[in-house]
Amino acid sequence: MTILNKKFTKAALVAVLAGATALTAFSASAAKHPVTGEELAADQTYTYRMLDGIPSLDPQIVEDVTGSEIIRDLFEGLLNQDAKGNLVPGVAMSWEPSEGNTVWTFKLRDNAKWSNGDSVTANDFVYAWRRAVDPKTASPYSWYMDIMSITNGADIIAGKKQPSELGVEAVDDYTFKVTLTKALPYFADMTAHSTTFPTHQATVEKFGEKWTQPENMVGNGAYKLTEWKIKETTTRVRSESYWNNDASILEKVVTLVIPDENVALTRYKAGEMDRTAVPAGQYPELLKELPKETLKFPRLCTYYYVFNVSDSAPEAFKNVDVRYALSYALDRNIIVEKVTKGGQIPAYTFTPAATAGFEVPTVDYGTWTQSERDAKAVKLLDGAGFNKENPLKFTLLYNTSEGHKKIATVAAQLWKSKLGAEVTLANQEWKTFLETRNNQNFEIARSGWCGDYNEASTFLDLFDSKHGNNDGLYASDAYDAEVRAASSSSNAAAHYKKAEEILAADMPLIPVYHYTGVVMLKETLKGYPIENVMLKTYSRNMYKVAK
Amino acid sequence: MFLFIVKRFASTIPTILILMIISFVLMRLAPGSPFSGEKMPPPEVLANLEAKYGLDQPWFIQMWRYITKIIFHFDFGPSFVYKDISVNDIIDQGLPITFIYGSWSFLVANLVGIPLGMIAAIRHNTWIDYMAIGVSIGAAVLPNFIMAPILIIIFTLWLDWLPGGGWNNGAWPNVIMPVIALSTSYMAIIARLTRGSMLEVLNSNFIRTAKAKGLSSTTVIFRHALRPTLLPVLSYLGPAFVGMVTGSLVIDSIFVTGGIGQFFIQAAFSRDYSLLMGITILLGAVTVLFSTIVDILYAVLDPKIKL
Repeated sequence: MTILNKKFTKAALVAVLAGATALTAFSASAAKHPVTGEELAADQTYTYRMLDGIPSLDPQIVEDVTGSEIIRDLFEGLLNQDAKGNLVPGVAMSWEPSEGNTVWTFKLRDNAKWSNGDSVTANDFVYAWRRAVDPKTASPYSWYMDIMSITNGADIIAGKKQPSELGVEAVDDYTFKVTLTKALPYFADMTAHSTTFPTHQATVEKFGEKWTQPENMVGNGAYKLTEWKIKETTTRVRSESYWNNDASILEKVVTLVIPDENVALTRYKAGEMDRTAVPAGQYPELLKELPKETLKFPRLCTYYYVFNVSDSAPEAFKNVDVRYALSYALDRNIIVEKVTKGGQIPAYTFTPAATAGFEVPTVDYGTWTQSERDAKAVKLLDGAGFNKENPLKFTLLYNTSEGHKKIATVAAQLWKSKLGAEVTLANQEWKTFLETRNNQNFEIARSGWCGDYNEASTFLDLFDSKHGNNDGLYASDAYDAEVRAASSSSNAAAHYKKAEEILAADMPLIPVYHYTGVVMLKETLKGYPIENVMLKTYSRNMYKVAK
Repeated sequence: MFLFIVKRFASTIPTILILMIISFVLMRLAPGSPFSGEKMPPPEVLANLEAKYGLDQPWFIQMWRYITKIIFHFDFGPSFVYKDISVNDIIDQGLPITFIYGSWSFLVANLVGIPLGMIAAIRHNTWIDYMAIGVSIGAAVLPNFIMAPILIIIFTLWLDWLPGGGWNNGAWPNVIMPVIALSTSYMAIIARLTRGSMLEVLNSNFIRTAKAKGLSSTTVIFRHALRPTLLPVLSYLGPAFVGMVTGSLVIDSIFVTGGIGQFFIQAAFSRDYSLLMGITILLGAVTVLFSTIVDILYAVLDPKIKL
C-alpha cells in the first residue's frame, strides 16, 4: 500500500509539474520564430521513434546511426553540417589546411563550455582522438580514425605505438592541429562524425564505462541527457551551458524504442510522435493517405549483390561475361517499382549520384533499354556456354529478412525467365551470414553499404583489394591505383569516374538500387534536414510551429 | 518436511551448474562474432575488442573466469552489445518490470481463469459452459503478437484511453495492455484445465457422498471439490508463472516496456555472449526454483503424497 501511495504521490507531483511547465510554456506561446516569423507551438517537445535500443552514447564507441543522432545533440565536434550538408563551424570557428592538405589547423571558439562549466579546449580534442585509437578503449569505430589518415593512427590501433604519438596537438588552448600521413582534401568533412567529438577526460576517468549515464555525463552539446532506459526511451533537454543555447528552440527531445514499424505508425497516427519510419512497401499508400507528412529523400546507401570472384569462386563467375549477363538481366525497375516501392533509384554504379563531388560516369549498360540489356545478356551467357539446355546454376545468399527475400525471389525469377538460370535461394541468420560472406563461402551474396561521410571514397574504397569488406575478394591493380590516387588528387572526381568505369567493366558486383529515406514527419515539425544526404540532424536547428 | 525442502533445493545446484556449462559451450559453437557487422572491423580493431572482452583467452579459461565471477561476485560481466553498461545493469532494469507485469498477468489469469472453469463445469453443457469454452479456445489460439497491435489500435488510436506503449515507471495505464495481452492465453488454459479437472471431481464418489449427506452445493464445491480440482491446475501454474515473470519478447517489443524478455532472443541473435548467458542462467534459476516450490506445494496439498 505504501508503495502504491508513493506512486500516487509521485504521479500527482509529475502531473503538477507537467501542468506548471505547460503553463509557463503557454505564457510564452506567442513566441515567433526569429527568422521565419512562424508562430511557435507552446510545447516544444520533439518525439521520434527508434528501431532499437542504442548500444552506446560514448562518442568514441558509438557505431550506429541512431546513437550518433543523439550524440550530435549531446556533444559538439569541430564542425557541423547545415540543412543542406555544407560544413559550418562547430566548436571550431575556422579551419585551414596547409602543406598540401597534410596539416589541418582548427581555431576553436573560446566560449564553448562543458555542461559542468569547464571550457572546451583543444586538449579535450587531443584526449578524445587519442582515446578513439587507444587499444584499451577498443572502439569498434577506431578504423574511422585510421581512414582519416592521422599520423601513427594505424600503428596505435595495432598496438605498435603509444596513443600519445598520434598526430594531434593542442598548439594552445584554442588551436588544434592535426598531421596526416597523406593529403586528404576532404579531411574537414570527416570531423562532423561522432567518433571525433570531444570527451571530458575527468568524467571519463572518474566513472569508467558508466560515464555516459545521465547522472554522470558531461557533454558540450546543445542538449543534455536526462533519461536513458535501454530499449525503452531516452530524453534530452536544452543545455543552459551550450554557447549558442539562445538560438535553440526545441526544449526537449524524446526517443521511443518501438521495434515494430506498424505499431510505431499506429502510435504516430495517435499523435504520440512527430517522426517515425514508413513501414516497408507502404510508401505509395501513405503518400495518398497523408501526402504532407510522407517524405522521401535520397540517401548515401547502395543495395547490391556481390559476386564471389576469389579463388574459391565457382568457375562460371570467373568469366566476366557471366557476370555481365546476370547484371544486365536484373531488371532494376521491376525491383524498385514492384517490390521495394519506396522510390528507390535503380543503380548501375556503386556510388550514389547524390554523393558530393561525384560525377556519375555514363556506364554503357545503364543507358540501354531493358530489352537491349536482356538481349545482350542472353547472347553473352550463350557465348559462355550456358543456355536453357545447359543452365547456369548458382546459389544466391541473403540474410534472413522478409524484405531481402522478396528481392531475391524476384531476382531469381528474372534470371530464370530471361536466362534459364537455376537459382537456389539460401538465407542465413545475420551473424552466421556475415561470417559466411566474409569467408567467401558464397556464390552471390546480398550486401548493402552506407557512406560514413559525403565523399565517393567512402564507397569506392570498398573494392580496393586490401579492404576488409571486399567480400568477393575482387582485385584489380588498375582499380586500386585509381582509388588510391584519388585521395590525394586535386581532381578526385576524375579518378572516381574512372574507378566506376572499371567496376562496370569487371562487374564484381551487381548494383541494384540506391536507397531513399522515407519518413513520416508531422507538419508541425520544421527543420528536419531532408536535403542533407547524410541526414545529419541537429535538434537545435529544429522547431515546432503552432497548428 | 524440512529435510525434504532442503534436499529439494540442494538438488537444484548441480542443475544450474550444468545449465551454465552447456549454454556456454553451445553459445561458443554458434558461428559469428558479437563484433561483426555489415561493416566488418579490420583485424587489428577486432583484436582490441576481443582482448577487452577476454575473448582472446582459450575457451576453458573464459568459462572458468565467467562462472567464478558469477558465483563469487554475482557479476555477469559487461554486455558485448550495450557497451556502456553491464549485464547486471540490464537485469536490474528489466527484471523488476517483467516481474511486475508478469505477476499481474498471473493474478489476472488465475482470478478470471479458475472461476470461469469452475462455472463452466458446474453448469456443464449449458450455454454458460459453451460460452466459457468458446472464449477460452478463442483466447488460446489468438497469438499475442496479433492481439497486442489490435489492443493498441483500439485503446490508443480509436478510443485514446491508454498510452500505446512505454513503461513510465509502471503507471497503471501503461500496465493494462501488456497484462491483457500476456494473461489471455494463460487464462484460457487455466480455465480449461479447471473445467476438466472439476468435472472429473464432481463425478467422483466422495462428492456423491457429500451430496447424499445433504450438504449445500456451495459447501460441496468449496469445501470438498475445490482442493482436488486445483491439484492438476497447480502443476501447470508453476511453469505458467515462470513463463509470465520471465517475460515475453512480444510484450516487451510491442509495448516497449523495457522488460527482460526481449533481451533474451536479441542477445542470441547479436551474439552478446555475456548477456545471453546472464539471462539464460537467471531464467534457468527461476524455472528450477519455481518447479521446486510447486513440488513442495503439491506435497502440502495432496495427502496422497508422502514426504
